[in-house]
Amino acid sequence: MEENKTKQQELKEQILSLCGIMSVSGFEPRATEAIREKLGAAFDELTVDAVGNHLLVKRCGRAKAPLVLVDAHFDEIGMLVTELCEDGFVRVASVGGLSATVLQAADVILYGKEPVRGVVTSTPPHLKKNDEESLPEAEELLVDTGYSKERLAELVSVGTPVGFSPCYSELLGGCLAGKSFDNKACAAIAAYAIAHTPKERLAADVAFLLSSYEETSAKGGVSAATYRLQPDYAMVIDVNLATVPDVPKRETVPLGAGVSLSVSAATDRRLTAMTRALCEDRAIPHTMIAAPSSTGTNATSVNLVRGGIPVVDVGLPLRSMHTYNEVISLKDAQALCELVEAFIGSQRLADTFGYTEKEELPI
Amino acid sequence: MKLYTTLQALCATPSVSGREEAIREVLRERIVPFADEVRVDPLGNLIATKKGSSAGKSVLLCAHMDEIGFLVTFVEENGWLRVAPVGGISFAASAFSSVVSENGVRGSLVPEEKVKPADYTADRFYIDIGAKNCKEAQKQVSIGTFFVAEGGVRRLKGKRVMGRPLDDRIGCAVLLAVAEQLAEVLLEGDVYYVFSVQEEVGCRGALPAAFGLAPEYALCFDVTATGDVPGTAPMACSLGGGAAIKIKDRSVICCEEVVKRLCSLAEENKIPCQREILTYGGTDTSSMQLAGGGCRAGALSIPCRYIHTSVEQCDLADAEACVTLAVAFVKDAV
Repeated sequence: MEENKTKQQELKEQILSLCGIMSVSGFEPRATEAIREKLGAAFDELTVDAVGNHLLVKRCGRAKAPLVLVDAHFDEIGMLVTELCEDGFVRVASVGGLSATVLQAADVILYGKEPVRGVVTSTPPHLKKNDEESLPEAEELLVDTGYSKERLAELVSVGTPVGFSPCYSELLGGCLAGKSFDNKACAAIAAYAIAHTPKERLAADVAFLLSSYEETSAKGGVSAATYRLQPDYAMVIDVNLATVPDVPKRETVPLGAGVSLSVSAATDRRLTAMTRALCEDRAIPHTMIAAPSSTGTNATSVNLVRGGIPVVDVGLPLRSMHTYNEVISLKDAQALCELVEAFIGSQRLADTFGYTEKEELPI
Repeated sequence: MKLYTTLQALCATPSVSGREEAIREVLRERIVPFADEVRVDPLGNLIATKKGSSAGKSVLLCAHMDEIGFLVTFVEENGWLRVAPVGGISFAASAFSSVVSENGVRGSLVPEEKVKPADYTADRFYIDIGAKNCKEAQKQVSIGTFFVAEGGVRRLKGKRVMGRPLDDRIGCAVLLAVAEQLAEVLLEGDVYYVFSVQEEVGCRGALPAAFGLAPEYALCFDVTATGDVPGTAPMACSLGGGAAIKIKDRSVICCEEVVKRLCSLAEENKIPCQREILTYGGTDTSSMQLAGGGCRAGALSIPCRYIHTSVEQCDLADAEACVTLAVAFVKDAV
């Protein structure tokens, strides 16, 4: 138990250290230095490609080793400044799936020449007419910065990214609430798992991909990176909708009951079954979820790159998705960490899916 | 006013998505003098290459040559043609317009009597080509014949122009002008001029073109909406405000490096420009960005009012700014 607590504590620190990095879709390259500083030391290489994917490679040290891709998208939902208005207000439009319900009164940062704090405005109930219940369109929202227009214009312009201010709290039962757990919590957990696996225990060279554009593009930046990498098999890790009252149980996964594994037309049946067996062998808590046609994650995209890549879709349950108070469980974080360790260390997977005739890592 | 004469020729040639042969021939003739190699890929994209002197970085410049239109789905007993939309057709904007088919048949596109504008949908419209009955109509058209609203462009005050399909013949005209200006310039890397097919039906053509060429950079030239007419959503983009440097549209978030480079080149060279965020609509930028291993993609947009109608309006000064900025970008990047 003590050991679990320590691991969960370390995972928590890793998660909080990554989730505050600004990585609104399209601005991923701004995160390069932070990624290098926080994760780089545990990997052999760090590269950024043309579409903002960050690739971290850890080699097992054996020639002609198979290549396993572990993908966690690193971009986050956010906003862009669309117009500078009078009196220090700016108009913003959402990047990715954000609704006005969530945005109103949010505490945000405009990532201009220097960071500028702001709050999303809302109409006080006193000023609303009785019948006025409707929310503004997400494109009509304003952010109040308190500056003058002239001063603000020196710092921000049309296109400046806007993100939620980092803030976190610990809930009971080992739960964390905060921003951008989608999907940097997964990235942090996978990074921890790979970093803590000695290279002798790796069954393959590991391409750890912090991919771009997942929140805004159906294909995602992952398609471009996977095309270049040609991995032998892959695990896509993303958050999954966790059960809350009033939503159908069959479309969600329970929080605190471990990782979720998707069964989907978009993922590899055999790899999924073998990953499930890894969970069972090592008593890693997990739940299965049916995602019939598409996983709604990068797995659907990875699946169809080049001649097809065997992929398994793994989820970290998360409540209140796409808000600045997303909720995850550290128990699930630990389960995910153990599964990633098992996955990259599995000789059976490497033997089944690895094609040894490839000369070298084709980056 | 060379851009205007080019635009006149391009707008006079109908070419709906999937049937781009006619416009391709017009464009091919015009791009040949400025390229080392010109070819057509299996999907129908026109791809011209200006070869570099050594292995420099390559740039793909793309404008789509297709336009929105109509597809005949059924011929009624009395000769009326029922149609389906191809691309983002607004039937309110298309009602009572003169249309022309790929084989030159003309007709009136009209709603059924007494249909209120609020109820304008494809199934309440038909094309009257003057045929007495089904048999006579079928001598000229059949299921699968494509129609477009009649094209043509006119001058307004100053450098303003009006007509259709400015979306995206004005982008094609910009691309031709860029190619002309770069023709005698020695560059290290290859420059590809792609006139893409099927943009209006989901940015399809640019995908295999960019996949095959695998450029370092890609720039898309297309129209964008403006926020300067009554009743529009807030948008800091205006006609005559200069080349619109795209930051985002519904389909894509442009590479920040490309955006920054375009902005600083515009500033250095005193080229009028504005930063563009379009909260709806998509462009070929998205397909090119994620084709194959991906590339650094951006877009220069020409602001356009009343997009997808017969009275689209652009300011040629904006198009000229796009040409100047694109030429500066290519020289800087390649």
